[in-house]
Amino acid sequence: MTLRGRAPVYLWVLFLGACAVVASQARFTTDLSAFLPRSPTPSQRILVDQLREGVVSQLVLIGVDGAPQSQLSQISDALAERLARDPLFAYASNGAQARVEADGQFLLRNRYLLSPGVVPERFTVAGLRAALQEDLDWLASPMGSLASRLLPADPTGEFLRLLDLFQFEGGPQKRDGVWFSGDGTRALLIAQTRAKGFDIDAQELALGRLRALFAEVAKEQGAPAARMVATGPGVFAIATRAAIKQDVSRISLLAVLLVSCLLLIVYRSARVLFLTLLPVVTGATAGVAAVSLAFGSVHGITLGFGATLLGEGVDYAIYLFTNAASGRSSDRALSRLWRTLRLGVLTSVCGFGVMLLSDFSGLAQLGLFSIAGLIVAFAVTRLVLPHLSPAGYRAQPLATLGPSLLRLVQAAPKLRYPLLVLVVLGAALLAVRGNSVWNDRLGSLSPVPEADQQWYERLQKDLGAPDARYLVVASHATQQGALETAEQVGAVLERLQQAGSLAGFESPARILPSDRTQRQRQQALPETPVLQRSLSAAARGLPFRVELFQPFLRDVTSAKGAPTLTRTDLAATGLKVRLDSLLAERRDGWIAMLSLRDVRDASAVAAALAALHVDSVHLFDLGREVDELYRGYRGQALTFALIGAGAIAMVLLISLRSLRRTWAVMVPLVAALVVLGAVLTLRGGQLGMFHLVGMLLVVGVGSNYALFFENQSAAGGFFEQRPLDGVDPQTTVVSLALCNASTAIGFGLLALARAPVLSAIGVTVALGAFLSLAFSAVLARQGGR
Amino acid sequence: MISGTPLRVSRRALAWLLVGITLGSLAPACADAEPPFGLEQLMIELGRVPHAKARFVERKYIKLLKRPLELSGTLEYRAPGYLERRTLKPKPESFVVDGDVLTLENARGQRRTFALQDNLALWAFVESIRSTLKGDLAALDRFYRVTLEGDERDWRLGLTPKQPRMSAVVSLIQIGGSAGKIGTIEIRETQGDRSVMTISEDGS
Repeated sequence: MTLRGRAPVYLWVLFLGACAVVASQARFTTDLSAFLPRSPTPSQRILVDQLREGVVSQLVLIGVDGAPQSQLSQISDALAERLARDPLFAYASNGAQARVEADGQFLLRNRYLLSPGVVPERFTVAGLRAALQEDLDWLASPMGSLASRLLPADPTGEFLRLLDLFQFEGGPQKRDGVWFSGDGTRALLIAQTRAKGFDIDAQELALGRLRALFAEVAKEQGAPAARMVATGPGVFAIATRAAIKQDVSRISLLAVLLVSCLLLIVYRSARVLFLTLLPVVTGATAGVAAVSLAFGSVHGITLGFGATLLGEGVDYAIYLFTNAASGRSSDRALSRLWRTLRLGVLTSVCGFGVMLLSDFSGLAQLGLFSIAGLIVAFAVTRLVLPHLSPAGYRAQPLATLGPSLLRLVQAAPKLRYPLLVLVVLGAALLAVRGNSVWNDRLGSLSPVPEADQQWYERLQKDLGAPDARYLVVASHATQQGALETAEQVGAVLERLQQAGSLAGFESPARILPSDRTQRQRQQALPETPVLQRSLSAAARGLPFRVELFQPFLRDVTSAKGAPTLTRTDLAATGLKVRLDSLLAERRDGWIAMLSLRDVRDASAVAAALAALHVDSVHLFDLGREVDELYRGYRGQALTFALIGAGAIAMVLLISLRSLRRTWAVMVPLVAALVVLGAVLTLRGGQLGMFHLVGMLLVVGVGSNYALFFENQSAAGGFFEQRPLDGVDPQTTVVSLALCNASTAIGFGLLALARAPVLSAIGVTVALGAFLSLAFSAVLARQGGR
Repeated sequence: MISGTPLRVSRRALAWLLVGITLGSLAPACADAEPPFGLEQLMIELGRVPHAKARFVERKYIKLLKRPLELSGTLEYRAPGYLERRTLKPKPESFVVDGDVLTLENARGQRRTFALQDNLALWAFVESIRSTLKGDLAALDRFYRVTLEGDERDWRLGLTPKQPRMSAVVSLIQIGGSAGKIGTIEIRETQGDRSVMTISEDGS
């Protein structure tokens, strides 16, 4: 061969080298937010930010079991103590008194700045007298002992008011003074990492530290059988990354091995095997390089799509070799083959092309990866492979395979009517289930395996976390502004609470009132001599020893002159964690979030908030917001799938220049999709976004099969044993079966992935590809008849 | 949010640390005296009574007040785990323990329930009376150092809390009685308050 003739090979080597360099530099992510919208609405952005950076994303829920209760509680204490001291963790608690008391102490110390009961009227003679009378009842009650200890410093009951305010429904049970699950078999702890939830490396470090500390503690307590389960968004992120990494590499390896075995069995030639895999490897490398260049990083899920390339890219080489292998191939046959393959690539590119327009960078990545990969794989097959195989190279498939497959294909059309019934049944099933076939939970998008999600929910339930469905968000350029707005909203919510529209709410301004409010409270406190006179007057005729209220006078005096509280004053208390989950700094200022409990009349709440006429206040129904986000996502995918299908039909129509032939290609595909959809939703299953993406792939891959069948039928069909342009129908059937098998292997293995995203696509495509081939055979026009 | 829980527990804990201190006790309805007299003997006698009802008068001596508060009402015990204290004066209020669950109800009808398991100090307090009525020395030993003074006709059972959280509040519980009957319960608190409950058999 001349140097000039070899030019494509050299170019290919250069190209592959360049792609490999780019791909090796690529940054891999597994962050779920890649699958969240790029240009979200303001409310979606708050949601996405919360998912990525909210305090909730830093929480680790810990369960310890496998030892007697007394031992578990000791382990729990020791672990909580070590976590609280560890620099990687911002906070840890197991509910133990000492830890809880830090919060109580804070409230007690700062009661006159924090309590909403601090108003001028409370400290007049009449206000104090009313308070003292209540105190008498309190002393006589079963709580008398508590009263007798608290009253000298707090006769107006501000501390108790605060405790009531912060009281929540639910909460873990305690055994031996620490949190336990309801059945008493599992000690519970909660910790907050310093690292943000999306910083997976840092999360991994923190989780490693947690495990090491636990092992240390369990050993010290002599409980080798004790087990720890840690869960939470950060833990999920780590597990997801590990699972995706492991799945992707393991599945790719297995798929390559199985497809290789298949090729070896059919061709008994290492050379064919090597040549067949070349386009795929080049395509995958180019795909990764393209995504890395365009997006700056490559998502793990995108890599999982290596299987797509394996499924379709291997096909090109197989078609080439089986057709060349017939030994009767002519230039005409080859050019006909290239035409068909080019059309196949074009249809696939149409399918994926629309995904590039997606708002969701994850989807766009999948599209770009597949397009770049397929085009490169085809180009390598077309331009490079012929140079690497000697002229007239023949790959000889197993001799027995052709005739038996052909007999199957010839018998297939007898199944036309059963197929019709199947399609009608499938369509009916889908019609009956209507909109319920769609799974609109954002969780279904999460690559976190269902079992882990359930664990998380269980621990969360054990810890008594109320589900915060309604959220009022107040944003402002400054922290104080956000807190003041939160106070304004809080006043409205209190009225609604009294009217019964909601059971209660949590506000950052309760934990940290705005400076303005704190100063108002300081002004409400009287000067010491005035307070002393008022108290004496108020106690007249009551049996109190007024001189014992010195601590009250002292505390009021110091509160009046104290500096106002700031966020840093809360450090090392559980309240800080709580405040941080409700008050956060964002790119363009501060947001205060008020979470509502048991909203009974959402429209009343919405109306009352709207009446405030503050633009920066929004009411969110998080459940709806999340679902909406996902519905939008799914809706977009559906639109793309339809546009893609339309584009594919157009491409076919233009290339085949025949409505009838286009129809013949499309019908088996549509039938396959209907039956596929019905099978997937059988047994209550639901379709998510990734099923839709999978279906798009089915159209891409399946159209190749249908095209080949259509080609063969148009030229005489499978019944005439007449070669088409020198290509034996047997050869076509063998190559189709082989392509189908390789696709089924690639995607079938993907179905085993732990990430729902990958497994959904795997199941859909493996099944869909098989159905497309089978239906194409059944519906093939019997040429010549 | 999750972090909401610690405070709730704190409230419970704080309240319950001290709550039950005013709880009264009961007089078993009958008793047979048999020598020799000792802790075991006393427990056997107390344990013979499956059900008892009585009236009580309680005086609370509180430092903050110039004169003691006086309360009265009824007590009821049913073996093995039911204990009820119903205050009638000055305000109706109830305190009911059934098994592991404590229910409190005040004059305004507000009701709260608690699990004894959740708070050792509270549990210890309930057992000082319930286990005495039950004659369960092992349970008393778990929470208190138990001493006995006097003779069968006039005995005084001294309970000193072992549990640190309880001993921070209560220094001594002293239960006095004659034969299988409990006549007085005195609770001394660490900061000087004390309450004395006198129990008389229910006329009904």
